[in-house]
Amino acid sequence: MIPHPEGGAFAHPVTTGIIIATLAVLGVSGLAILWLSKSGRAKPEFRRELWLRWGSWCVLLPLMLGPVLLGREWTIGAVTVLSLFCYREYARATGLFRERVLSAMVVLGILAVNFAALDHWYGFFVALWPLMACLLGVATIPLDRPAGYIQRTALAMLAFMLFGAGLAHLGYMANDPGYRPLVLLLLTAVALNDVAAFTSGKLIGGPKLLPATSPNKTVSGSLGAVIVTTTLVAFVGAAIFRGTPLGNPVWLVAMGALVSVAGQMGDLLLSSIKRDLGIKDMGTVLPGHGGVLDRFNSLLLVAPAVFHLVGYFVGFGLSAPTRVITGH
Amino acid sequence: MQDWKLRPARDLGLSPADRLRSLSREQGLVGLALNAAWRRGVRAYLSAAHSFRVTGRENLPAEPPYVLVANHASHLDALALAAALRGPAARRAHAMAAGDFFFANPAVSALAAYAINALPVWRGRSRRADLDTMRQRLAEDHLVYILFPEGTRSRTGAMAAFQPGLGMLVAGTEIPVVPCWLDGAREAWPAQSATPRPFRPLALNIGPPLRFSGTANDRAGWQSVAAAAEAAVRALDPSSLRPQQGR
Repeated sequence: MIPHPEGGAFAHPVTTGIIIATLAVLGVSGLAILWLSKSGRAKPEFRRELWLRWGSWCVLLPLMLGPVLLGREWTIGAVTVLSLFCYREYARATGLFRERVLSAMVVLGILAVNFAALDHWYGFFVALWPLMACLLGVATIPLDRPAGYIQRTALAMLAFMLFGAGLAHLGYMANDPGYRPLVLLLLTAVALNDVAAFTSGKLIGGPKLLPATSPNKTVSGSLGAVIVTTTLVAFVGAAIFRGTPLGNPVWLVAMGALVSVAGQMGDLLLSSIKRDLGIKDMGTVLPGHGGVLDRFNSLLLVAPAVFHLVGYFVGFGLSAPTRVITGH
Repeated sequence: MQDWKLRPARDLGLSPADRLRSLSREQGLVGLALNAAWRRGVRAYLSAAHSFRVTGRENLPAEPPYVLVANHASHLDALALAAALRGPAARRAHAMAAGDFFFANPAVSALAAYAINALPVWRGRSRRADLDTMRQRLAEDHLVYILFPEGTRSRTGAMAAFQPGLGMLVAGTEIPVVPCWLDGAREAWPAQSATPRPFRPLALNIGPPLRFSGTANDRAGWQSVAAAAEAAVRALDPSSLRPQQGR
């Protein structure tokens, strides 16, 4: 159980703090872009790009943070929608969408694993990894079309692991009554991680990280992000996990580094997929960002990694009612 | 073992509105489900309200790709032809619809794209590149095109001459053209009427397929494809050749 004070959505000071800080960043960045536009220092295309990004964030942030504040069901529902959007983009980019049986199975798996989270049924939640591997493995055998079996099945398994089983951990966290500060911290920390990598990379420069995978990332940017994100997550984490076995500096720093490294790995994972496909963005849903996956790639690995770290030390929803829909 | 390639959707990177109007639009699960539901609804309506009958279904090629061509008197025509198909052919059927009407605004485009799986044809300004895209997709994606080569609905019931655009899709390929004759569509939903008129019978007769693998892919070839297809469709008209029509 994550320690939490009695009261509503804003009972925990970290929740309030993150919301206020987010609104402040949004407001300040809006003013900064306004100043940049008025002063005429930036080229028109660059200004347009900045406004597009900022506008997308104004729509995106309420959609991300709102459900977390509203409650458990909303959080899991939002993660389900996010998973489906991510899968849709992946399927269209890789061509897996043409395999309608397999594609329907992955969607079914995504719905099932999020249902398990909603039901607070941990047994089913973890059982869906091997069960879905079996199902996806046999799903296209009856079509009697062995050509491409390995490739399509592998694409489907990767999709379920990343967007189904992996991302669902974020929603499952909401089964703990004290989930709000942690989930909000993860959502904002991965965004900060991207910004920190971009900023320190621009400020310091130096050798490229993995030029063939992602030509704009530098080693200095990556290390800068690790330092900034680890610091932030460790400090905020200390306020969330005070009095638990995780509330010790060594583990808090480990958690912070995990968020940063797993976030960057998720980013590089998607870059690898895009490079292999020869495309720039996964979609066009978010003006200035690209697709949903381009925005949420960092969460893909952070969600399960942090879930199991916190689960090892603290546990999620251990005293909350289980199997609330299916009963015992 | 075959070479296996990752093939992103042809419409990847298009904005949602552009995607609806794109000739490269490829359906996903949502599109398939909506299209299947719509097709079943249309099938139920046609058999209940117009006692829709299909003859000559054995003339349909076993597998896509192919092109269905028919006389055109009504908005029911494309719906009826799509409703006559089953299995993969039904899922891959695309009706060629007038862009200026069916893709005039996003709401109508969404209906045309998701329900009837229409692809826009821009009357009077269809570009060569568009036709090349359609020709390429027909063969590569194993599609079924539902095409009315007269270009517009007949106001009188008499069939007009076929336009050569059909030839640009199939000349010099093994892709069959299946002539069809729709009987009763003008009475069931006249071009002058805003809604269909129930309880008027509708019948579809499917003729044996034509192939144009030996026809040159040039202007003369396209004309000859159009002429041959037109003759084959006319031959199915029960009022033109009653004694020879056995069925």
